[in-house]
Amino acid sequence: MAIVLKGIMQAPVTPLKDDFSLDGKGFEKMVDFHVRHGAPAIAWPHHKAESLNLTIAERKLGAEIAVKTVAKRVPVSIFVGTLSEEDSLDLARHARKIGADMILTISPYCRRPAQEEIYDSIVRIGTHTDLPVLTYNSPWRNGEGVEFTGDLTKRLIERLPNYIGMKDAGFHSQKFLEISRVALNMRPGFSIIIGVEHLLAAYPMGACGSFSSSGAIAPNLCNRFFASLEAGDWGAARECQYKISRLWRLFKEQYPSSLKGAMIMMGRPVGPVRSPLPTATRERIDFLKAQLEELGILQTEPHGW
Amino acid sequence: MFKPGLVHTPVTPFNGDQSIDYETFAKVIEFHLANGADALALPMPEGEDLSLTDPEQRKLVEFAIGRVKGRVPVIAHVSDAGTTLAVERAVHAEKAGAAAIVSHPPYFWHPKPAMVVEHLVQIGTATGLPFFICNPPVESAGTSLTTETALQLIERLPNLAGVVDSSFDWVFMVEVISNGRRIRPELQLLCGAEFMVAAGVVGGGGAFSGLSGIAPKLVRELYDLCGKEKYVEARGLQEKVAALHHTVKEAGASGLKDGLAGVKGAMAWMGRGCGLPRPPVKALDEAGGEKLAAALGGMVFLKDEPQGW
Repeated sequence: MAIVLKGIMQAPVTPLKDDFSLDGKGFEKMVDFHVRHGAPAIAWPHHKAESLNLTIAERKLGAEIAVKTVAKRVPVSIFVGTLSEEDSLDLARHARKIGADMILTISPYCRRPAQEEIYDSIVRIGTHTDLPVLTYNSPWRNGEGVEFTGDLTKRLIERLPNYIGMKDAGFHSQKFLEISRVALNMRPGFSIIIGVEHLLAAYPMGACGSFSSSGAIAPNLCNRFFASLEAGDWGAARECQYKISRLWRLFKEQYPSSLKGAMIMMGRPVGPVRSPLPTATRERIDFLKAQLEELGILQTEPHGW
Repeated sequence: MFKPGLVHTPVTPFNGDQSIDYETFAKVIEFHLANGADALALPMPEGEDLSLTDPEQRKLVEFAIGRVKGRVPVIAHVSDAGTTLAVERAVHAEKAGAAAIVSHPPYFWHPKPAMVVEHLVQIGTATGLPFFICNPPVESAGTSLTTETALQLIERLPNLAGVVDSSFDWVFMVEVISNGRRIRPELQLLCGAEFMVAAGVVGGGGAFSGLSGIAPKLVRELYDLCGKEKYVEARGLQEKVAALHHTVKEAGASGLKDGLAGVKGAMAWMGRGCGLPRPPVKALDEAGGEKLAAALGGMVFLKDEPQGW
């Protein structure tokens, strides 16, 4: 059965115990929280989940917990991007074995790969597994980062029958259209998922949804946002987007430190953040509380698990 | 409040000896007015402002205002590296009868945010005209506007009417609109090119169009659909415009992908020759010209556009 990806998809954080070890029970609660609050898909471990600060063994364990906890209620995507391509292949094999629905991948970071290198990397992973594959487009300015151009996307669609979509973190009209006008015409149903939820601009141009940053704090807002997009109620959608963008501004510094701090304040103890990222201070959490109250989030969104 | 609407940004035609070809420029202006321009802005980067001398820029603005004769507003673009150069050009444009001033952050230098603000404040306060600030494309060699610099400018300049965004960056657009309108509710965000679906749906309105010299009908149709908030329905047109934009920008040798050789090449292909871009911008070579012609020939929608003047 083909996977349908649509809506504000949730990418859980990784709860840690006070000694910084993985909190498996907490993670079950986290994943279940998202599914019960309307997440149309679960995606783990994104940067929000401190993916690069987890061991490969921890990533496998977390993936197993995620798949088991979701229990087929919605599709599960496992992120297999790492610093080393060999680890990515290992994680892709593991995701297949445990029954994940798809993988999200990227050519290894920290290397400013050329387009040909990205192509080879994605083909290697995409032919290594028969799971559906999403790629993560992460262009930075001036050619840094890992960028999927329209041409590269076209070649990958031609090469990989299991290439079903892209997480797009370009947030850029011109670059988005280079990808969308090629991909959506070659492979109708190709899922362009905006990461994080800067979705308003992209939705009418064919994006199917987003991976959320703020859903751990404001799932109701996320769901209202997507409903207004589907209804074409642009005024309501703008209100939601502006609010979500303000939330993103609060959380983006040293992501996910502030986010985890705010979650604890909302009654969802997800623990500290692994070094080199800092753990939110008491003062920071008080500041966030005041901001969330002003935004009306504290009053309208779920507390506790 | 001055709302410029769909603003066409004409090219500057040159003769073989590199002088400005005013005879053709008059035709360019008439073409834009007859094909959907609500206003003109010049000389924008598409009009090769960087390659024009200061006296040429002044004369060009005077000529355009004289030729337009009030049929639509003419917005004068006054960007430069040095603050006083831009300030004096803005003062001149007001005297010449410009309807508004538009300016980029300083060219070439990479000043600190406070210096960018100071530069634009001086230009903005030089005249009593509505003032628009441009955020350049990410490929540009100049300084970008940040949300913070834009918000400071809105605070400091009562005549700052809007931001013309060519960064096409959704985060910037949303932050400027949502925060800027808390300071100035009537603040406009205009798209700096034809990516109007994204700019419109996040709350923008108005656009600066460089492709209007090539495909004015398509641009106008897209603009009108977005004006009616039919963003989903506009996707097909948006993709066509994006394909044209891509083709024009990719043509030529420019490291900045400024599209200058492509725009003039495409205008000539549509039967509206405006000469070649001024050095150091290289015109398309034979292979480049053939590639452009093949790409344009594949765009069926161009057959519905006006041919010749």
